[in-house]
Amino acid sequence: MIESPVLAPPDAAVPRGARALRALRANPLLLAGAALVLLIVLAAVLAPLLAPYPGDAGTATHPFAALRPPSAAHPFGTDEVGRDILSRVLYGARVSPLIAVVVLAIACAVGVPLGVAAGFFGGWLDEAIMRVTDVFLAFPPLLLALALAAVLPASLVSVTVAIAASWWPWYARLLRGQAASVAGRPYIEACRALGISRARIVFRHILPNSVTPLLVQVSLDVGGVILTASALSFLGLGAQDPVPDWGLMVAEGQGYFTPDWWLVTFPGLAILLTAFAFNLLGDGLRDMLDPRRSFLP
Amino acid sequence: MLVFAARRIALAIGVIAGVLVVTFAVVHLVPGDPAAAWAGPHATAAQIARARRALGLDRPVPAQLASYFAGIATGNWGTSIHTHQPVLSDIASAAPASLELVITALLLAVAAGVPLGLVSARRPGRPADQLIRAGSILGVSMPIFWMALILQLVFAQRLRWLPAAGEYSPALLFTHPLVRRTGLPVIDALLAGNWPMLGSTLVHLILPAVVVAAYPAGLIARMVRAQVLDALGEAHILNARALGFPERQVFGRFALKLAWTPVAAAVALVFGYSLVNTFLVESIFDWPGLGSYAAASITTLDTPAILGVTLFVAIAYVLANLIVDLAQAAIDPRIRLR
Amino acid sequence: MRRHRARAAAPGAALALLLAACGGGSYGSGGKAAASAVFTYDTYTQVMVDGWDPATEYSNGIIAMSNMYETLTRYNPVTHQLDPLLATRWSHSPDGLTWTFQLRHGVRFHTGRLMTAQAARAAILRTKRLGGGASYIWGAVKSIDTPGPFTLVFHLSYPSPLALEASADYSAYIYDTRAAGQGSLTKWLNAPHDAGTGPYTLQSWHNGQEFEVVLKAFRGYWGGWSGRHFTKVVFRVVPQDTTAAQLLRAGQVSFVEQMSPSLWASLRGAPGIRLVSAPSWQNLLAQLNTQALSLPVRQAISYATDYPGIIAALKGAAVPSSGIVPAGLFGHFTNLPSYAYDPARAARLLRQAGYGPGRRPLSLTLTYTAGDSNEQVVATLLKSTLARLNVRLSVQPLAWATQWAKGKSASPAARQDIFVEYWWPDYADPYSWFVNLLQTQKQPFFNLSYYSDRTLDSQIARVESLVATNPAAGSALYRTMQVEILRQAPIVFLYNTNYQYAMTTTFSGFQVNPAYPNVVFAYDLRP
Repeated sequence: MIESPVLAPPDAAVPRGARALRALRANPLLLAGAALVLLIVLAAVLAPLLAPYPGDAGTATHPFAALRPPSAAHPFGTDEVGRDILSRVLYGARVSPLIAVVVLAIACAVGVPLGVAAGFFGGWLDEAIMRVTDVFLAFPPLLLALALAAVLPASLVSVTVAIAASWWPWYARLLRGQAASVAGRPYIEACRALGISRARIVFRHILPNSVTPLLVQVSLDVGGVILTASALSFLGLGAQDPVPDWGLMVAEGQGYFTPDWWLVTFPGLAILLTAFAFNLLGDGLRDMLDPRRSFLP
Repeated sequence: MLVFAARRIALAIGVIAGVLVVTFAVVHLVPGDPAAAWAGPHATAAQIARARRALGLDRPVPAQLASYFAGIATGNWGTSIHTHQPVLSDIASAAPASLELVITALLLAVAAGVPLGLVSARRPGRPADQLIRAGSILGVSMPIFWMALILQLVFAQRLRWLPAAGEYSPALLFTHPLVRRTGLPVIDALLAGNWPMLGSTLVHLILPAVVVAAYPAGLIARMVRAQVLDALGEAHILNARALGFPERQVFGRFALKLAWTPVAAAVALVFGYSLVNTFLVESIFDWPGLGSYAAASITTLDTPAILGVTLFVAIAYVLANLIVDLAQAAIDPRIRLR
Repeated sequence: MRRHRARAAAPGAALALLLAACGGGSYGSGGKAAASAVFTYDTYTQVMVDGWDPATEYSNGIIAMSNMYETLTRYNPVTHQLDPLLATRWSHSPDGLTWTFQLRHGVRFHTGRLMTAQAARAAILRTKRLGGGASYIWGAVKSIDTPGPFTLVFHLSYPSPLALEASADYSAYIYDTRAAGQGSLTKWLNAPHDAGTGPYTLQSWHNGQEFEVVLKAFRGYWGGWSGRHFTKVVFRVVPQDTTAAQLLRAGQVSFVEQMSPSLWASLRGAPGIRLVSAPSWQNLLAQLNTQALSLPVRQAISYATDYPGIIAALKGAAVPSSGIVPAGLFGHFTNLPSYAYDPARAARLLRQAGYGPGRRPLSLTLTYTAGDSNEQVVATLLKSTLARLNVRLSVQPLAWATQWAKGKSASPAARQDIFVEYWWPDYADPYSWFVNLLQTQKQPFFNLSYYSDRTLDSQIARVESLVATNPAAGSALYRTMQVEILRQAPIVFLYNTNYQYAMTTTFSGFQVNPAYPNVVFAYDLRP
């Protein structure tokens, strides 16, 4: 009964909403991802209500309650200065997901115009922009961000800037492909012949056509940015204590890992679950909205 | 083919030159004013000016860039602040250990990812497929520094099945000394026929290699699945099916063959990923490679070392892609047309 | 550099002391006996970071060197007296200006040469001339005579407790200055070679590797090899304490120098493992930048430090400090006026300086040694208590070399406000804290409070002479200095370290000797 979501082209005869619902049902992974993402967003929004000790996400410490194992009072235990790990994990849902949103916004803001310009105008501009993206893409993901974060002072802002600087070329590439394929279509050539302004062509034809693949790419990248940001924090290049950043919490708990396993385990699980949730969502959205690109990693 | 190769190599050289410009920019432009950073946060204008001269920053940027290029080309990658050794020789002594780790991890990833991708593509949408897809997404969602700690805790500290850290059991150095030739302990032990040492190196390789393999395995499984499904839709596969070839042959002989090219490209891609991932894993496993070196460079604010490693990994990554491209073009002439 | 164990990675790397034991006199006989006669000392950080010259080494190297080299006297932690080592007897003139040491007969250097008064004199003069390490211990020595082949007579320019200084953990070693013949001795030593008289001699050194230093028994050792002794000592660098604990359980290391308190406690009751806890002479300090921070601000920080909280969070690795000088040393007092955690008082003091709650915020920077989880806890707690007082503490973990370089930087602008580091004395005496940390230094070296007080400088200059001639007056002066220093608050004395060692039960005879931090005298152990 289940057609492969990869092979199934969107069925034009079925209304959009129903189609989406059907695809959702056909794709339990998408459903699971959406549910998890919802949970994480709720955790982030409701952290002050959910966290048993909201102050512990800030500068509060309780040295006399340090390194307590998980219990009813502290379901995830306490860290080396007595802070409630559950509270910090909950507030952590506000840190790296937010970094991801900002990074992707910057990456789109830089990458989309460049990509459109390259694809639409072609010629030397295209060549120049694409050679620059080649250079940036010659750094494996994380590497350039790491080098940048290492020379910048360690902070959340630095991490965001560093990751965004290594992320935009993907969007420039994507949009260039979209713009070039749209720009080559006969009706756009007709528009041009009719003297319709370039701006109008870009805004009325090229950008709307690019929204879906862009959305898919963004949803796929959230998990990656979260992992990158956590990795930089783990290396000490990102958030600084007491910011309840999950990667930083893993790094700080490392020295206590045996026997006090809870310091590392719970924040790390939070990273895994969050990245997993967004990747499931992104993967599912791609299958649903943009099946042609399913084969891309 | 020659034309293609020449063009591809020229492109790679251009990209490497670009990479150099970017790393140069990272050192010289990013922290605002490096002379001010060097002189300290409350330095006077005169102190900053002095620092600028001392660092050679008063010369025009193109001149600085030219001397940077010349330095890199002649093997002068600067001196590490924390080891006091030339960065290039530090990298040369650390790289073999990382290569051993990454290559082992990629072999594991291919060995796990390809069959899983095939099983998944066999009956898309079925529970096995959903499970493998979820698993592969889990693999690419793994914070590997955390996975490293957890596996170390479970398999080394609690179950004590595997050693927690190191390249081999150093106690063996007394009974079965390791003669360093290639710098890759496994190969060195093998070449010398040093079996106890070989066993020890292999056992020590398991945990770090599994951790580094998590991401590439997930990626390769997804890639194979998608490619095979794509290929199954192609005309000659449909033909093969119609002709009554057994399913297994359709998969193994036809579909996988088509899928192979993108998978090889993916291996080049994850080679770069994995080299960087060692930065997060090696210090946990006490693995004396580039990752440990990079991590140590970060705590010592050792900018020359950090940028040296960055440059080295980026160049290795460009070359890996080049090699895969050329190899594929040699096998499959259609690629040259792209 | 010293005072400082630059950690590779996580806290509690372990130095594995691999001790090889062998049965009475059967040195080198039988593979089996030899294998059991290895003592492995597990450390978290590289051992020989400072070179192999016994005159100038001033870092972690003593844990190995103390097994290769010997001093004239050795401090005994049980009797609090000096034990004979290379010197068998010593005496001094009533004015404390002439000291006579009778040397042990028949002691040979590892080079084969006989240790005579002439040789000892040459070693001490060379150490003094090079001026590195703790060579200031010989600072009072004006000249050395050798009236007999085994008699050393020191003439001092001012009274000084020379027999005590001769027991120092650094720069007090007697070595063969002719080991290199006509060549450069420093070069020869750094090859590396050793030229000591100790029970062990260097077998191999692999810089930067896990099995860093291997020592083997020196057959010609004057103490002889009858009875059970370890014949091999291995220093193994294990950056992670969890790995060290595992190696210890497996019997692959004999001794673990440091691990996190909870890991250490978790080994209690483990079969075949013995835990030893003992107070040290090491304290953790926060040096406050006196050039940047006014007196009320420094005092406020001293009151804003949650001392009981820090002790509690460190779970047995720390004990409260009282003044500058740890218990067990001359000059220690239990009744000095000291700081207690008092946020209200800290707030008042901050207001005096124009800061504090409701006023403008004060921003401070603190550096500590990356990877040291105890320092990390202290920094986090200090940040937390200061935040309540509207003080923003920005904490920077740095590798030791980087942290120290920043502290010493020529430009005051580049320096930190608070420098966290450990300190311990060079010999069983409190002088080291005062002369290194508090005496005026034009170019800052370890005085990273940048503290300068002429009165204190002159007191430091005469205190050791006073101790040598009139101990009661010396003690009173140490008290006076501490009272004033505590009032001026250039340093926050956070806690005293409590050693927490773990070792296998396969040997006996281990004794903590706080005069030689983290040193295991492997020859004294009985496998």
